[in-house]
Formats: sequence, C-alpha cells, structure tokens
Amino acid sequence: MLHLFYSSSSFDFPLSLSVETLHVDPKLTSASASFQACQSEKHLGQFYTLPSAHFRPLFPHGLPYRYQQQVKTFNEACFMVRPPALEVISYLKKADYSKPALRYLFYGVKGSGKTMSLCHAVHFCYTQGWVVLHIPDAHLWVKNCKELLPSSYNSARFDQPLQATTWLRNFRTTNEHLLSQIKTKRRYVWTKRESTDEGRPLGELVNQGISRVKSSSDVVGALMKDLRLQSSQPGADFRLVVAVDGVNALWGRSTIKKENKSVDLEELTLIHNLKKLMKNDWTGGAIITTLSQTGSLYTPKSAYLPQELLGETGFDSMDPFIPVSVPNYSEKEFESAYLYYLDRKWLQHPQSRTEDGKKELSFLSSKNPSMLDRICGFL
Amino acid sequence: MESTAKKRRCSFNKDWETTYHWVKPVQGDSQRVFCEVCQSSFSVSHGAPERSGREFGSRKPRREEGEPRTEKMPLDQDWTAVYPAATPFRAGSVPLPVRMGYPMKGGVPPEKKGNLELIKIPNFLHLTPAAIKKHCEALKPFCTEWPSALDTDAKCDEHFPIKVECTDYVSSGLSVRNPSARIVQLKVKLSILNLDDHARKKMLKLVGERYCKDTDVLTITTDSCPLRQQNYDYAQYLLTVLYHESWKTEAWEAEKTVADMEEYSWEGSPSQKNIMDMLLRMKVAGEGEGEEVQEQLLARSEVQEYKDSVTRLKNEGDNESSVLQYKEAVKKVFNL
Repeated sequence: MLHLFYSSSSFDFPLSLSVETLHVDPKLTSASASFQACQSEKHLGQFYTLPSAHFRPLFPHGLPYRYQQQVKTFNEACFMVRPPALEVISYLKKADYSKPALRYLFYGVKGSGKTMSLCHAVHFCYTQGWVVLHIPDAHLWVKNCKELLPSSYNSARFDQPLQATTWLRNFRTTNEHLLSQIKTKRRYVWTKRESTDEGRPLGELVNQGISRVKSSSDVVGALMKDLRLQSSQPGADFRLVVAVDGVNALWGRSTIKKENKSVDLEELTLIHNLKKLMKNDWTGGAIITTLSQTGSLYTPKSAYLPQELLGETGFDSMDPFIPVSVPNYSEKEFESAYLYYLDRKWLQHPQSRTEDGKKELSFLSSKNPSMLDRICGFL
Repeated sequence: MESTAKKRRCSFNKDWETTYHWVKPVQGDSQRVFCEVCQSSFSVSHGAPERSGREFGSRKPRREEGEPRTEKMPLDQDWTAVYPAATPFRAGSVPLPVRMGYPMKGGVPPEKKGNLELIKIPNFLHLTPAAIKKHCEALKPFCTEWPSALDTDAKCDEHFPIKVECTDYVSSGLSVRNPSARIVQLKVKLSILNLDDHARKKMLKLVGERYCKDTDVLTITTDSCPLRQQNYDYAQYLLTVLYHESWKTEAWEAEKTVADMEEYSWEGSPSQKNIMDMLLRMKVAGEGEGEEVQEQLLARSEVQEYKDSVTRLKNEGDNESSVLQYKEAVKKVFNL
C-alpha cells in the first residue's frame, strides 16, 4: 500500500492548504517491492520507511549515533529522499559493470547528511542483492587503538585485532545470505595447523576470523582481496559495493603510538588493505565514500571540500572520482523534515506548531539537518 | 602631633568664631563645624579646624566657570587658529558632541566634558584638510615643478621604472638626526626586467616575501647601513645581483622536486597516469598498445577538459565551482 502525501506545493493545491493542515503526511510507506518506484525525482523531500527486515542486518553499524537513537525512539527508520543520494543511485543504475569501479565521494559541511546519503545508497545496493562492504568510520581504525600486534603475515606491519573482529561480525550480519553462496578462490594458511582451502564458502572464512582473534586483520585483508578478484571476473553473479565513511582518514595521520613512536598509516594492515581496495583496478562494483571532518585528526574545523580533507596523496589516489555535494536542506526538504517531526509528535512545544516557530527553527538551524535534529530534541 | 597625646575628642570652641570668621557652629552636633566658604560641614573631633588641613585662612571663593568657547564659534571660523599645533583634546574648544568610554549598565558612553579617555588618545585636530592646505602653501616655495610630460602613471612607469623612497624627519629636540631616515625602499615591476621562465621562477624563490603577486612589484627595503646613501647603493647592488643570479643555472637546480614546483603541471603527474590507466582498461580507443594509443587518448576532448579541471583544482585550491567543473569533466570521461 503506497500512499503519497506532498508536503509542499508541488501539486496545484492552494498554498494555504499545504502547511496549516497538519494531517498532511510527509511520509510515504512502501513495501520493498515498490521501493524502486520511490527512487525518482518526483519523491524528492519525502521520507520513506525502511522495512525492519532490512534495517537489522543492513545497519548494525554505519548510521550516525543520533539517528540510531531516533530510530529507537520512533520505532521506525525513515530516510529522506534527497538529490545527492538519488544522483549516485542513478549513476549506479546507469553504470557499466564491466568497466573499472567508479568512485563517488560525498562531501559537504558538518551535519549536512553525508553519512545518511551513503546509507541510502547502500540500502539501494542491498535491495539489488549486492555484497555490501561497509566500513562505518575509517577514523575509528586510526585512533584509540588499545591493542596493536605485530602482523603475522608481514612483520613490518601492525594488526588491530579488536577492530577487525568487530567489523567482521558486522559484515557477517549484513551479508549473511550471500556468504554461503560465494566461494573462496585461493587457499589461505593462517597458522601451521589452520588453513582455509579453496572452494570453501566465504562464511567459513569470516567465522575463522571472528573465532581466531589474532589473525582477524589478515582475514579482513584476505576477504577484501577475494571479493575484489571475484567480482572482477566476467562470470561473477554478484556485485560488490564498498562503502567507506570518513575516507580521508586513510591518507591523514594517526594518533596510535607504538613505544612512544607514532605509527605510520602504511604500517597498519587494515588501512593498507583498505587502500588497496580503494584503487579502481577491479570491476563489477562501485566505491561510495564520504568525507568526514568530525572524526578526522589534525584538520581544521572549517574544512569540508575534497582537496582540503583528502590532501595531496589522497586526491591523487582517489582521482578520478565523482564528487557529489551534499548541501543543507532546501526549503522543501526543511518543511518535510519539520512536518515529519510534527507527525511523530516529536515537537511538543506549543509554539513550534506556529508559522513563526517554523521560521525560527529554520533560522536557528540554518537548515542544517543535524542542527535541526538537536534543536528539536529540546522542544 | 599633639592629638596623639590627647585622649578625649575636641568639640566646638567659641573662640574659633573670632579667629576664623568662616566658621559657624552646627545645631545638634558639637563635634562638627560649618564652613561658609564651601558651604559644607566637617568634623572637628580630632582637633581645631586648622589641623584638619582643609582651610588655611580665608580663600578666594571659586568663581563660576564661563561659557565654553564652542558656544561662540561661528560656522565659518578658521579651525587652524583653534588648533594650530598638536595639543591634547580640549572639550571646551571642540564643537563636536563626541562621547567616549565604556557604557555602564543601562547607560551611554560618557560625554566629552572632563573625559580622560579623549584626552589620553592622540588626536589629529591640528591636521584637518584646511591645515594641510596651509602647510602645502608654506612648502611650495621650496619645491620644484613636476615635469609636465609625466602626467600619467603609465608614463612614469615607462621612464622611471625603479622607484626609490626615502623619508625625512623633522622634529625639535636636542638633535636633528633621526635614525629612521636611513631606510631606503626600492620598488620595481618584474615585467620591466628581462626574465625568461626559469629566471622568473628563480627570482621569485630568491626574493620570497618581498614580491607582491597582485601588483607585480618587487620591494627591496634596506636599513642595515647607517647612512642613507650606503643603503641606496646596497639596494641597487641587490637588484643587480638578483637579476644576474636568476639567469644563471646551477648544477643543483636539477634536483628540483615536484614539491618545489610553483604550479601544478598535469603532464607526468599521478593524475595523468590514473586516467590513462583507466581509459586503457576501459578499452575506449580500441585494442593497441604504445604511444599512438596514448596520443589518441590525450587528444580526446574529454581528457583535455579533465586535465583543465584538475589543473585548476590543484592550482587554485578548493572552491565550489572548481569542484563542480571537475565533477562534470569526470562524468564526461565515464559517459554518465
């Protein structure tokens, strides 16, 4: 059942009808089958609800913290359909997957919705049945590392077992149904006694990594390599989407110290493997990334443009990529968000229902999505 | 002092009325005395009026202050007569309703009358345009005529490309010398000098901060020698040496790295390699290896656009429009 209500004047309604009448509903509920119908320009500014069957597996990690709290409060996950995400989805639809993987980069000011756009695009890929390799925040891998082990595979590098195991667990939750179908292509030897043979399902590889914490970073590396090789093959029956949030961490600096010496990013196994994945020498998939200043180290607060955050090396590695700008809400989107909050009874303050209150909200938050969320939290 | 030996307090004494005729008793308080001159009472518990140190015999009563001069100033007065030299601010002489100071809660900045803040700061009331005009008139007999042929800036630049600036200081004091008078500033436009590409880049590196990109002017300021003439010679020498050195190429200049380059050049950069790789892998130009394929690819318009956008992005830095241009170029290359 699909009911669409338009929150502002894209119909020929008289303008007085669109705002004061509070039973105008900005949401559109959709079953996953007609999900495809919702992803077009006609539905810009409206919210669509993620079916809970999709929500659990797809986003064990990767959503902004405040949004996760909102989902718990409202008991539903609603995404707003916005131009940046739609743009990337349209490219994904049009792209030729025998060509090298295309790289997309979401950039914008703090709190403008980059992570949400990324998650929207990832959800689209998930509904298409792709394998989702989602790294929630690359910055988490370069700072606050409690345990650093020398790598078993390459003695010059360092492993991060904790981060690797958490990520593998989440990866397994997301791609449960596909892991049993894809087989490994090579034989991996972990220790003298343990090895994974060729032809075993990938699920076994992942389980191996989760149970044997010591070799988990190497498992991550092997997983990435395998998926990359396999999706490049012409007969592959799956596509790979690599989604990295905060990709500028890969070329920034790290605060991890080993014996009082700062660790170089090249020496971390996880980062090294991820960088290899970022190169577009494989086919049959897409790489969607976002920039993030919030978690990044040693960057000024006002930096949000690609070159500032990626740096010289980052830009040269990511080049050529398609930068997609994620601006603050437009008028229509702001109205939609406001009506959504009203609809969910999130705005309790009596003055927030007035026209003046709405203007005040718009001014205070300067239509920045996260600011609006924070301010409405008080009302 | 005798008061320390006494243990009791003084009170009003009738004899004081004859000695000091301004003294009057205060009803109800024998320890206070009323002074007729200043119309106020004060305590005498610590001794006779003379010891309180307030009045020494009779004093001339303070006269009323008159109207400030500002009320009587005509509108077309000669201001240079009011402030002929640098003097502190006089509230009564400046006919402007100026206020200065921190406004206390609920108040406004204090007015100019008795305002120490206005007196503290330097003022230029003696240097109004009218005063400057008078100064110029006074200086004119000592000046020579400006050559009539040099009436535009362009002509001045053409005939006199090097401009030397020195300052003379006049002050009254024990000595007429001023050490700041030795500073010499030499300005020249680099477009006048005959420099080729390498020489220009080397000159800019040698000169560093002294060059202004917007006006293309090199400024050499010398003050290391004690005399002005010596500084002037030194500045001329510096200019000559810079010019000749930038034309020479040293052996170690061959070690110039990419990080030293002033501008981004796309040829041979990682960006070019990336896009070439990609296009080859996408097999856009058809099968074939080697130079011709590269040439063909380079000649395509999308690649040229891409090259322009990357160069712009790297040289200018980030801004919205350059990023958008880059995006369009990349989209074209991938046929999106």
